[in-house]
Amino acid sequence: MSDLELEMHINGRAVKRRAAPHLRLLDFLRDDLNMTGTKEGCGAGECGTCSVFVDGKLVKSCLMPVGKANGARIETIEGLAPKGGDLTEVQRAFHKTGASQCGYCIPGMVMAATSALRENPDAGIEEIKERLGGNICRCTGYTKIFEAVEIARDVIAGRLSAAALEPDPAGNSFIGNNVRRLDAPSKVSGRLRYAGDMVMPDMLHMQVLRSPHPHARIRVIDVSAAHALPGVACVITAADVPGEDGFGVFVHDQPIMARGIVRYVGEAVAAVAAEDVLTAKEALRLIKVEYDELPAVFDPEDAMKIGAPVLHDYAPTNITKHIPIRKGDVEQGFAEADLIVEDYYETQQVEHAYLEPEAGLAYVDHDDVVTVISPSQNITHHRHMLAKIIDKPINKVRFIMSPVGGGFGGKEDMIYQGMLALAAMKSGRPVRLVYTREESIISTAKRHPARITYKMGLKNDGRITAVEFKMISDGGAYGMSTEGVMRKAAILACGPYDIPNVKIDTIGVYTNNTPSGAFRTFGAMQAQFATESHLDICAEKLGLDPFEIRRRNMMQDGAITHTQQTLGKVSIGTVLDAAETASHWEAGAPGRGESRSDLGGEGTRAPCTLGARFAPAVAKVKKEVA
Amino acid sequence: MLTCDHYLMPTSLEEALMLWRGAPSGSRLVAGATDILPWAREGRAGDVHLPSLIDLSRVKELCGYTVEAGKVRLGANVVYQQFLEDETLRRHLPAMPFCAIWFADDQIRQQATLAGNIVNASPAGDGIPPVIAMNGEIEMARLDGDRIVRRTMRVAEFLRGPGKTALGPDEIVTAIICESMEGYGGSFQKVGQRRSLVISSVCAAAFVKTDPSGEIFEDVRLALGGVGPVPLRLTDIEDMLRGQRITRQLVADAAGLPADRVASRTRRDYRRAVVRGFIEAAIEDALVACGAPQPGPAQREAAHV
Amino acid sequence: MMQRKMRGRGVAASWYGIARTATIDRAGAWAELDDGGTGKIVTGVTEIGEGILTVLAQIAAEELGVRPEDITIGDNDTARSPEAAHAGATRQTYMIGNSVALACRDARTKLDAEIAKVWGVETETIRAFNGEIWSEGSNLRMSMEEAVDLCKKRGIVPVGSGAFTAHGTGLDPVNGTGSPWQAYVFGCQVAEVEVDTVTGEVQVLGIWAAHDVGRAINPRGVEGQIEGGVVQGLGQALMEDYQLDKGHTKTHGFAKYILPTSLDIPQINTTIIEDRDPKSPLGAKGIGEPALVPTAPAIMNAIYDAVGVRIKSLPATPEKILAALAERAMRTKGVAA
Repeated sequence: MSDLELEMHINGRAVKRRAAPHLRLLDFLRDDLNMTGTKEGCGAGECGTCSVFVDGKLVKSCLMPVGKANGARIETIEGLAPKGGDLTEVQRAFHKTGASQCGYCIPGMVMAATSALRENPDAGIEEIKERLGGNICRCTGYTKIFEAVEIARDVIAGRLSAAALEPDPAGNSFIGNNVRRLDAPSKVSGRLRYAGDMVMPDMLHMQVLRSPHPHARIRVIDVSAAHALPGVACVITAADVPGEDGFGVFVHDQPIMARGIVRYVGEAVAAVAAEDVLTAKEALRLIKVEYDELPAVFDPEDAMKIGAPVLHDYAPTNITKHIPIRKGDVEQGFAEADLIVEDYYETQQVEHAYLEPEAGLAYVDHDDVVTVISPSQNITHHRHMLAKIIDKPINKVRFIMSPVGGGFGGKEDMIYQGMLALAAMKSGRPVRLVYTREESIISTAKRHPARITYKMGLKNDGRITAVEFKMISDGGAYGMSTEGVMRKAAILACGPYDIPNVKIDTIGVYTNNTPSGAFRTFGAMQAQFATESHLDICAEKLGLDPFEIRRRNMMQDGAITHTQQTLGKVSIGTVLDAAETASHWEAGAPGRGESRSDLGGEGTRAPCTLGARFAPAVAKVKKEVA
Repeated sequence: MLTCDHYLMPTSLEEALMLWRGAPSGSRLVAGATDILPWAREGRAGDVHLPSLIDLSRVKELCGYTVEAGKVRLGANVVYQQFLEDETLRRHLPAMPFCAIWFADDQIRQQATLAGNIVNASPAGDGIPPVIAMNGEIEMARLDGDRIVRRTMRVAEFLRGPGKTALGPDEIVTAIICESMEGYGGSFQKVGQRRSLVISSVCAAAFVKTDPSGEIFEDVRLALGGVGPVPLRLTDIEDMLRGQRITRQLVADAAGLPADRVASRTRRDYRRAVVRGFIEAAIEDALVACGAPQPGPAQREAAHV
Repeated sequence: MMQRKMRGRGVAASWYGIARTATIDRAGAWAELDDGGTGKIVTGVTEIGEGILTVLAQIAAEELGVRPEDITIGDNDTARSPEAAHAGATRQTYMIGNSVALACRDARTKLDAEIAKVWGVETETIRAFNGEIWSEGSNLRMSMEEAVDLCKKRGIVPVGSGAFTAHGTGLDPVNGTGSPWQAYVFGCQVAEVEVDTVTGEVQVLGIWAAHDVGRAINPRGVEGQIEGGVVQGLGQALMEDYQLDKGHTKTHGFAKYILPTSLDIPQINTTIIEDRDPKSPLGAKGIGEPALVPTAPAIMNAIYDAVGVRIKSLPATPEKILAALAERAMRTKGVAA
């Protein structure tokens, strides 16, 4: 391997270094120069967390071999606002509008916004959106980002006073006040360090060997060659777990690493901690695993059939959890109905796609406390579980929650923290693991997909007399949050409606698919997607306005829910009124489309037709006419 | 993850060809590098180690473009963003800005080259339909002893199938040569699963030139991408329209022709359905771009069955 | 015959429970009125991007009588902070927010008692806001910095602790009877879409989102949660799809797993409804998860309104829309014949 001799100007400073020939500009900045404001979200040019200026042009540094940057002027997020200096207008506008949430996409987004305004200081909103089109944000819905870029543009151009960047006055209370986010300056400047940005002296790098099979018995794992490789500090497998192995939110059915059996493609089988990532990767190739493939099941309905492969001995039917809810008598309810509508709905498996891939750093401190720093959404529960797994008193296990670059439920499971702890204990050194995007996608939980059979009985006036609701969900190979997701889905399935007779069943099932787990709404969106679609079908059949059918059925103050809880005040009526008024909704049954008179009003955007930057002349003419 | 023993950055074509000739087996040429880095990842090629990567972006002969004798010679290092920002290129290659705006994003367009897009020979490569519609040629160079030998061929013939081209093992692509389409209106249609950073499900490029009255199709060029192993030039439709009076009915009739030529192995029904509307829209947009009045919704809809 | 671009509108409503489901949820916090008239808060779980740090600082500032920027929040460490359980379940504002409020009140009680003694007034007359403390109905006033100093000189460190509990009950295993949450929120969203009948592509042009949040501690933050939720809902409605083939993923990276970009974003028009929670000190409920519940069905209902096809299997990709339109055309033809 022949190192490159590199010279470049980074944020105005001359840098002269040797670097490995395969490095990307991103690696050079982050690993060689410890400039971690530039983030890695996908490594494939698809997300924009790594955007930097090279000779004045914004590029994705994960797509640039570092050799290409030799001799160039580089500007990174750290260079926009020099240490101790004022934030730029763009950064201050992001702070003002609340454009940063988890913050992980924000350095790249600030760079893209800066580039947009440098390329065209008068860019209109459509052009701004196009120029931000290479940067994904998973938290904000982009809206506050657009607002920020427009404010920054106008302040820079002098059309808007710089006072627009100042905080709102406090008034007489801080509650109800748009206090600017306290963490925004650290995020818009790239100063905030996420777990993957953290380094410790003497730190090792972990890589994980994953199952290529959906279901197989592990006959033997031979790590001797990997262990013998120079630079490898330790190799760990399930055999290294000193305590009671098993984690999960509701049932502890998942070992830290596969124990005798792999149950899904991507499941961790072994891990290596080495001096650098390349050595750890090489060691993975030296681990010999012999598998006996087992019959696998990929469909939740097949999994419930007699004779289907069983994933976990404790659940011989492969049913992780069945939640039944019964209220009234549905048969009688259907008998009273004027109209019965039956249908079937499906929702897909969805990836959380937080921009920060999983990462963590573990060490054993001077008091023998096993410490794990990671973007965990549940350090309390993780501590409980890990203490049992590594057989330590609970006060000898410490979890520190690093800044979370997006969670949405996806960082509630203790997927990798156990491996880090074991490696830190075995090697006696700090160990860091940073997932690739692909690793994050293949091995972590998804939103439960759902298959929903729906039967609703209604009177001609739209009153619902009965609902029978059945949802089957593929929970994948491990229990994770399936039980809770089934419970929440069941409780909320039939919506905020007063229905005298309901029969609800939600069933979570084990399969050899990627596990499903906690994901923002925890089953509620799948279930209510069916209910709200179904109500519209019924509204059309009855010739009712969709708001009206909902009003005729909505829960009132003191309503009794599907689980027979008595509610106090219920705000659904107020909420329906608010949405109807705000949208200037024209009443009528569904299926009116273009004949409606409420389309295209304020509150809508123009459809996106690419090429906004070609049309400035046209826009100018229009402006002059106006 | 992509690793290599050597990352080489020649500055002249001769040096590049020498390095390429001497490179150990398995070495690769790199232009923008925007495809090779995502390729060497899990789910695609996985971890890849290559002996040498020869980066052509600093080869001076491959940079820039010339316009001469009705032809535009685009050096292999011309990147997509130039089609958006360079006034001369916009004038001579009038579909390319619309193609470029759909290609990846502003940042990737700063690195990604048209030549690289063609050499990758993806059935969905956005840059290929407009190039074949412009009777594009590809120029390649190799060393014969110490002498640089060049050859050119039609891009349409250069592409042999998904990922397959006529590029020889010792050759380097030096230029893409297109007819100047000055005076034509250009357009580009594309649909994918969203509107930025997206691979085409179907795309279509059109160039239209009208006679001075604006009523006759003087020339029409049409090509489709994403519809088979290689992009498709629609010469029969071009012939059908050339010299004819421009009517909505004629355009609609022409648009009905190509659906059965969609030969993709996947999503064929979808692609066939889209193609018809795309041909129509491509011609309409190109007409507007060369000065025809923007059709109102009623006119548009009249032809759209 | 159909126009190329067709618009329509749809609506969907939703409800959601706040904090952990069908169980007793709990969280704890510590507070200290610190030197310089600043505040120090310690609690076990905080920011995952939703803005809770700022919300907690606002709550602490309000309760302690200082400014949000004077608050330091030490958190996120099982060895250094009290349990606050997990960051999820739309429980942060409700559970941690109320714990922090209670902890701050506890600290203030101690400070107020000392200051009242110094001033010779009833403790109940003491008020504080924005770094100042005073006795209502008098001209007795000093800065919080002075008040903390004075309190400490009298031997009292004004510290407090607080814990908040939400009482849910488990569900009956046979008929599901139970009271899973003590606070519920409701929402409703209207979507306006444009469907391209040539490509099947759907653009969502507008979303009107009305959500009850109990009490908006930071209205802009609430909007941010709603906007983010809507766009995640839009992603699931139209493009996101994790695909497996015999257990092997076909969507390894973001080139295949398609997420919404800046060009897919509707104008989002938020209406915040504040129906205060009667069972908690602050009256706030939550918004994180409920924001995305009604989005996908509102969009599907709008697609139906626009072009008369109902997509019952998410996501509504261009391909699915065109196939449904073709099927509908066949059906209509059949009826006509």
